[in-house]
Amino acid sequence: MNHYRLIIKADDKQVVLERILQVARYRGFLIEGINAQVNTGTNIGTIELMVRSERPISFLVDQINKLIDIKDVKVDTNTSQ
Amino acid sequence: MASEKIHTGGSLLFNVLQQHGVEHVFGYPGGAIMPIYDALYDSDVKHFLCRHEQGAAFSAVGYARAAGKVGVCFATSGPGATNLITGLADALADSIPIVAITGQVPTSVMGSDAFQEIDIFGLSLACTKHSFQVTDINDLEKVLHQAFAIALEGRQGPVLVDIPKDIQIAHIVSQGNVVSTLKNKVNLPPANVGSAIAMLCHAKQPVLYVGGGVGMANAVDELRNFIDITNIPSVSTLKGLGAIAPEDENYLGMLGMHGTKAANLAVQKSDLLVVVGARFDDRVTGKLDDFAPNAKVIHFDIDQAEINKRRAADSAILGDLKTNLPALAIPLDIKGWQQECQKMKADFAWDYNHPGNTIFAPAVLKEVSDKMPINTCVTTDVGQHQMWAAQHMSFNDPSNFLTSGGMGTMGFGLPAAIGAQVSRPTDCVIAVSGDGSIMMNIQELATIKRFQLPVKIVLIDNAKLGMVRQWQDLFFQGRLSETDLSDNPDFVMLANAFDIKAKKIVAKEEVSAAIEEMLEHDGPYLLQVKIDAADNVWPLVPPNTANDKMMEST
Repeated sequence: MNHYRLIIKADDKQVVLERILQVARYRGFLIEGINAQVNTGTNIGTIELMVRSERPISFLVDQINKLIDIKDVKVDTNTSQ
Repeated sequence: MASEKIHTGGSLLFNVLQQHGVEHVFGYPGGAIMPIYDALYDSDVKHFLCRHEQGAAFSAVGYARAAGKVGVCFATSGPGATNLITGLADALADSIPIVAITGQVPTSVMGSDAFQEIDIFGLSLACTKHSFQVTDINDLEKVLHQAFAIALEGRQGPVLVDIPKDIQIAHIVSQGNVVSTLKNKVNLPPANVGSAIAMLCHAKQPVLYVGGGVGMANAVDELRNFIDITNIPSVSTLKGLGAIAPEDENYLGMLGMHGTKAANLAVQKSDLLVVVGARFDDRVTGKLDDFAPNAKVIHFDIDQAEINKRRAADSAILGDLKTNLPALAIPLDIKGWQQECQKMKADFAWDYNHPGNTIFAPAVLKEVSDKMPINTCVTTDVGQHQMWAAQHMSFNDPSNFLTSGGMGTMGFGLPAAIGAQVSRPTDCVIAVSGDGSIMMNIQELATIKRFQLPVKIVLIDNAKLGMVRQWQDLFFQGRLSETDLSDNPDFVMLANAFDIKAKKIVAKEEVSAAIEEMLEHDGPYLLQVKIDAADNVWPLVPPNTANDKMMEST
């Protein structure tokens, strides 16, 4: 089982968190933790998502990137294992 | 810039629809969408009242696929909205641009379990490309423009806009055509073209594997030009049918579970797959680890997430097929391979000899295909008849073959044919269905009657859920569980009840005259074709089996 930490930047739009969580679950990633906050000046949300899966993380990154409100997805290679 | 005018939310919706060239919508009214239907009363948009919201969604899908436009459907809150979901899921699986508008209970009572309230916004997450719920009238216009832009941009798909009733009646001044800014399109990385060209030049046994993305990208001409220059042997997925000219001597037909023997063997022998707008679907690959085991892969797609998803690409060319395909169009020196593929095509050509006097569905569909006018649009439902149509009918464009590919939705064919006929009123539209599938949206015969749509229906009737019955016979020791439909209604009488002319045929000698009568009839027509309940679809690649280990009979 691989553990990953994603840093996601998203527009502060309706249900963006639900969308990310739904994609993670459907694509086979178990959510181990989540932190989210919004910069009220830029209306950009930063979501820190900890997941585990047998699948490669690129599989999830590509799918989250397809969500309309997502601006950027990065894998934290320091903490992912 | 549209003129500034005070609108209600409902009238603003139609204003935006008209800005996007929408002439036709499919829907069904109800309490929470009544202000929109009131605004429809004064609109130039023509509404097609379907008899179930699922029918409206599939008609929008058929409209979009046949016309290359965005399909639009309406439903009320609660059950109206949930009835759209199968159609949305179908559109998502097949990347079809539709915009679904749902009424919602007023914002003041949302979240109170109000009458006909359901969280359709939440339900939409798994079955749309994107969705919106408008809770401020000031957002409505921009959201509607965004919905159309998102439906069409990149990999196309369905978008849902949920509009509470108070937003529909609120007043607003139109801001004009609000331009939506979406993510930038991906560009072709030049390095990948170089490596792809090198692979193509070195390949001895390349095969072109074409999917539905070609039609969606409007890249049929570019694909055919690529084929003309390379003379590469080619195969098609179910959704890709029509992209390759059927008369191309190097075209081997559909690949996969019910693909042609030549197509599957060529792919298995290939040393290079040029994959264009396809996604290595499990019905295509069979046992993935054994799929085209010796082939390198060049993968063209618009969707980054499809690259390396099921099969690693040695070269990925991301972006618009229309732009990218010409970059690889170079003459190839593969004469021996072409001849080997052509020989397989001849050796394993379809055999229409069928003993006895019961009607052979593949021969019927081949004859319909040979006799139907050019540019006929064929829709199917899902099951044996669908595979026989894919195998034995020929299409000169992907927009002329509408079938539920990814979702495999029974009940698709009849309402999709309605949408296709509305979008292409002068073209012949034929719905090929089965006796199981047609009953899933049989109520849409009323829509055909209401609008006098000249849809032709070829009903392949084996009084069974034939594909499930075939699998029960082959893989479940013949334990036929819940697949008998011998208590079907009298389909001729049923069609007649909707003022639709109908005929039932049971013997081979009736086939030719019946097909001609159907095609010559001015209005809608149902041709019920009784076949032997034991007929199977061949070839068949059993589950989790390599595509070269296909079954060809019991």
